[in-house]
Amino acid sequence: MATQVSSPTAPIPQVFPPDGDGLPGVNWFAAVLRDSRELYRYRAVLTNLVAQDLRVRYQRSLLGFMWTLLNPILMMAVMSVVFSTIFQFKKGGVDYALYLFSGMVPWTLLNMTVTESSTCIISNEYLIRKIYIPKLIFPLSRLMLNATMQALSMVALFLLMVPMGARFTPSLVLVPVGLLLFAGFVMGLSLIAATINTFYRDFGHLLSVLIQAWYFATPIIYPIESLPEELAWRFWLNPAYAFIRFFHVVIYEGGWPSWVLVSSSAGIAAVVLGIGYVTFKSYEDRLVFRL
Amino acid sequence: MIELRGVSLRFTTYNDKYYSLKRACLDLFLRREGSNQSSFWALSGIDLTIGRGERVGILGPNGAGKSTLLRVLAGIYPPSGGRLKVEGRIAPLIEMGAGFNYELSGEDNIYLNGALLGFDRRQMRTRIDRIWEFSGLREFSALPLKYYSSGMLARLSFAVATEIDPDILLLDETLSVGDATFKARAHDRIMSVIDRSNVVIVVSHDMDALARICTRGVWIDRGVVQADGPIGDVIERYYQHVGETQAIPEGQVAEAA
Repeated sequence: MATQVSSPTAPIPQVFPPDGDGLPGVNWFAAVLRDSRELYRYRAVLTNLVAQDLRVRYQRSLLGFMWTLLNPILMMAVMSVVFSTIFQFKKGGVDYALYLFSGMVPWTLLNMTVTESSTCIISNEYLIRKIYIPKLIFPLSRLMLNATMQALSMVALFLLMVPMGARFTPSLVLVPVGLLLFAGFVMGLSLIAATINTFYRDFGHLLSVLIQAWYFATPIIYPIESLPEELAWRFWLNPAYAFIRFFHVVIYEGGWPSWVLVSSSAGIAAVVLGIGYVTFKSYEDRLVFRL
Repeated sequence: MIELRGVSLRFTTYNDKYYSLKRACLDLFLRREGSNQSSFWALSGIDLTIGRGERVGILGPNGAGKSTLLRVLAGIYPPSGGRLKVEGRIAPLIEMGAGFNYELSGEDNIYLNGALLGFDRRQMRTRIDRIWEFSGLREFSALPLKYYSSGMLARLSFAVATEIDPDILLLDETLSVGDATFKARAHDRIMSVIDRSNVVIVVSHDMDALARICTRGVWIDRGVVQADGPIGDVIERYYQHVGETQAIPEGQVAEAA
C-alpha cells in the first residue's frame, strides 16, 4: 500500500468461499498452496507460540529446560531395571537401554504431540474467538515444540550412552530423515485428534487409553523376538511400527534401513498426513462455532 | 476493498454446549436429527460493497447482527453462505484483550499481538516505546498479564491495537477504557487511527458519534440490511422507525457474542 509508511507482510485477501466460483468441490491443491502462504505470513505467531510455551512450561521449575533431558533419562533408567531384571529379556542391560531409547524418544514425540493437539483448539479459544488466525497454526506449534524437545533429548541421550556402548555409525545421518517422516505421520494424527476432540469432548478421555494401548502394541519396551516368529508379521499392521523399526535399525542396530522400510514409512506418513489435513480442513470452518 | 454478496451466517446453538459422543450415537441410533440443537440466521443475504476511503457506520437495535457482521469481516466467523472478499490489513478493535496470553509478560504479549496483526518482532520494536508511553505501563512490562488489573489490561490492549496503521479498521462500540484522563487521550487516539485508516467500519449506538465520524450508514435489523446510504438519511430513517419518543438505549448490552 502506497499510503503506508512501514508495511508488514503483505496481507492475503480474504475470500470466501476460498475457491471463488469455480467447480464444486474443494481444490485441495489450491488449499495447500493457500495454507502454506498463510502459515508463512503468520510464522511470527508460530514462533511466538512455540517460544512462549517453552517458557511457560519451565517457568518456576528449578532445573527448567533440563527436565526435558532429565525426565527421559530417569524414565529410561527405571524401565531398564524393571524390564531387564524382572522380566529377564534376553537383551542385556546396556544393550536393552539403547534399544529402549531408540524407540521411546520417537514415541514420546507422538504421544505428547497428539495429546496436546487434541486440546489445542479448545485451549486457544481466547485467540480463535477474538481474532482471525489460521487454525493449522495450533497443531503445528504443538508438533514443532515437541519435535524440538525430542530431537534435543535424542542427541543428549545418545551422547550419554556413548560410554555405555552406543556407536557412531554412518547410518545415524538418516535419523533426521526418520524424524521428518515421523513428524508428518504425527501431524496427520494430531489434525484428526484436534478435529474430533473439538466436536466431541469425550474423545480426550478415550485418547489417552488408545495411545496407551497402541504403545503396548508397538515393540518399544519389548523386543520383537519376544513374540513367536510366525506372528511377527502382524506388527506390520501397526502403522507406527515402520517408523519405530526405522529408528531401531538406524540407531540401535547401526545399519542401513531397507528401501522397503524407507518407502513404507514415507508412504504411511503421506497417507496419514493427507487424511489428517483433509479432515481438519473439512471441519475448520465449523470449529469456531463449537468453542 | 470489501465486497459481500448475499453473505449469510447461521448460528447453531447447542442447548447442551458439549455435544457428546454418547449423544451423537443416540441421535444416530434413534434417527433424530440433532436433538439438542436449534439454529438461527444471524445474518442473511447481506450485500455490501465498501470502497477505499469510506467511513461506514453500522446501526441497529441490540441483537441485530452488527457485531456478528464485524466478526465476519474480520474473518473470525466464516460465513455459512454467500461470497465475501476482504482485501487489506484489518485491525479488529472488536473486543478488548483479543489475542493476549495471560501467562506471559506484558512485553511478550505486545509481540504476540503484533504478530497476530502481521508485524514481526523488529517492526514491533520500533513501536513498543510509543505503546509503553501511551499506556503508561512501562514499569509493569515484565509482569505476567494475569496480575494486571482490568484497567491496566484495557489500556495495554487499546494501546497495542491503536498503534498500527490498518487498511481496514473495524471498531465496535467498545472502549470504555480506564479512568477519565485516559479516556480523553483514548478518544484522541481513536480519532487519529480513524484518520490513518483507509476504510473504517464502526458499530455504535451513539448516533452523534456516528454522524460525526461516518459518511455512510448501514442499518441492520435481524440480520438484514434495512437501509444503506448517506449517514444522515439512514439515521433519520432509523429514528422514524424506532419512533422519536423512544429513547435509544445507551451503551451496548451483550450482543450476540
